[in-house]
Amino acid sequence: MAKTKMNFFDRMQALDRRYIYLVVALAIILPLIIPFNSKTYVTEPVENIYKKIDSFSGRKDRAVLMCFSHDASTMAELFPMEVAILRHCFQRNVQVFTICFMPPAKPLMDFALQTAKEDYTVQSGVDYVNFGYKPYGIFLPIVLGMGDDISKAVETDDEGRIVSNLEIMKEIKNYNEMNLVVDFAASAAVQTWITYARARFGANVAAGVTAVMAADNFPYLQTGQLIGMLAGLKGAAEYEKLVDVFATHKEMVNGVETVVPRSFSKEILKESWIKLSDIKNPVYKTARTGMNAQTVAHIMIIVFIALGNIGYFVNKKKNEN
Amino acid sequence: MKRQIPLLIVILLGFTFVIHTFVPSKLSMDFYDWYQSWIKAISPFMVLLGIMSLFMVNSNKIQRKVPNWQYSVVTLLSLVATGAIGFIWGTQEGTPFMWMFKNVQMPMGATMFSLLAFYIASAAYKAFRARSMEATVLLVAAIIVMLGQVPIGMKISKYIPETATWILNVPNLAAKRGIALGVGLGMVATSLKILLGIERTYLGGGE
Repeated sequence: MAKTKMNFFDRMQALDRRYIYLVVALAIILPLIIPFNSKTYVTEPVENIYKKIDSFSGRKDRAVLMCFSHDASTMAELFPMEVAILRHCFQRNVQVFTICFMPPAKPLMDFALQTAKEDYTVQSGVDYVNFGYKPYGIFLPIVLGMGDDISKAVETDDEGRIVSNLEIMKEIKNYNEMNLVVDFAASAAVQTWITYARARFGANVAAGVTAVMAADNFPYLQTGQLIGMLAGLKGAAEYEKLVDVFATHKEMVNGVETVVPRSFSKEILKESWIKLSDIKNPVYKTARTGMNAQTVAHIMIIVFIALGNIGYFVNKKKNEN
Repeated sequence: MKRQIPLLIVILLGFTFVIHTFVPSKLSMDFYDWYQSWIKAISPFMVLLGIMSLFMVNSNKIQRKVPNWQYSVVTLLSLVATGAIGFIWGTQEGTPFMWMFKNVQMPMGATMFSLLAFYIASAAYKAFRARSMEATVLLVAAIIVMLGQVPIGMKISKYIPETATWILNVPNLAAKRGIALGVGLGMVATSLKILLGIERTYLGGGE
């Protein structure tokens, strides 16, 4: 049988997928090894979460609950946003509660707290409290119970201490005080908080989700049932930027670089430009560094789609002729 | 009786919670507190049940030497080792448990999830074709949303992120809301059928 001569487009159509994998690997690894400065544009759902948390600054009668509902597989997207929110809270003296209902989320929660508190002198039971892992079977009773009395719904914390005896609980009773719940998930877990904590008790609920899950939550954002949303690595990068521009803003005071937090302002945000190379701690720029890789990967996928379609149409026309 | 008693419990408790939610009273509040204590006591046994089930399924696979039974050995050994290490040294920072989490579970989990990027790129190249009008709309929407999600989209044109947001906020939202309404109505209908004893498949067994 005569061998048909393949032209460039035929070859492109029949390209071994291992070459595609190689290009994807390079497109992701190279921007991580050689980071470059790209501007992060902050969106409204991220701003809303930042502003809500910032409004709790210094108040003993307000707290944020962070619910970790994911495992290590989605850590690349969700961990940077968890650390950024914890940093914001610790820096601005906002009281934090953490909880999880999945066993694989427990070490993640500990790791996030450990990472965020490295640069801060915060005390467990006073500035934050880790409720620890609670079995999924009592997820709903806890969500509902917190609407009445948090210390009854979650009797002991991760260290086995009675929650009602902790100093942080002095002015906190239920969702009226713990007025923001942020659920970090790669699933629809946040919808339980919306259905029960928001609809029944009026708690403010926000979501930190993987990019693929973001589309599911847009109806709740539009209705206001979600006050804000961090969508994937992009959301995390935006929050990291907000923390750097406002919460950990540095100024020279008497010749010494000092952290002088400032209030949120769209004008300041628009003008601000933080070079990644100026941020010393790599943990504080994880998402923004990752966004470089994501940018290259997205462009590469678009190029792949374009090439695939050009080959398809060229071959289609050839066959028609 | 084997079916009637569970059915009666479901109907009775189901209506009790409906009444508690919509017509709260001192009596229903007290009952709810009592129920919460019970559920807290019972729930740890669910974890135990899960571990037992995992052991039974995997040990059965090992005994019968089914294809890839070696993975079951790894699963059970990992379960026992992780549990033992956690119980002996604790799970805090600096313990062998945390070391295992950072050096085994974290990279393995990330590896599994990152495979998605490779499959998406390959599928985009091999299968994402503008064969019809619908496929072309999907393709254009995908490209705009992908560009809108990264800083370069804004650099190219401010309309790219704006269009991406519009796609997510209007057509995507309309479809999602339609699905959510359908699911919601379905849940209400199924719940009512369970409460009224019409839907009994959850009891298991045949007729």
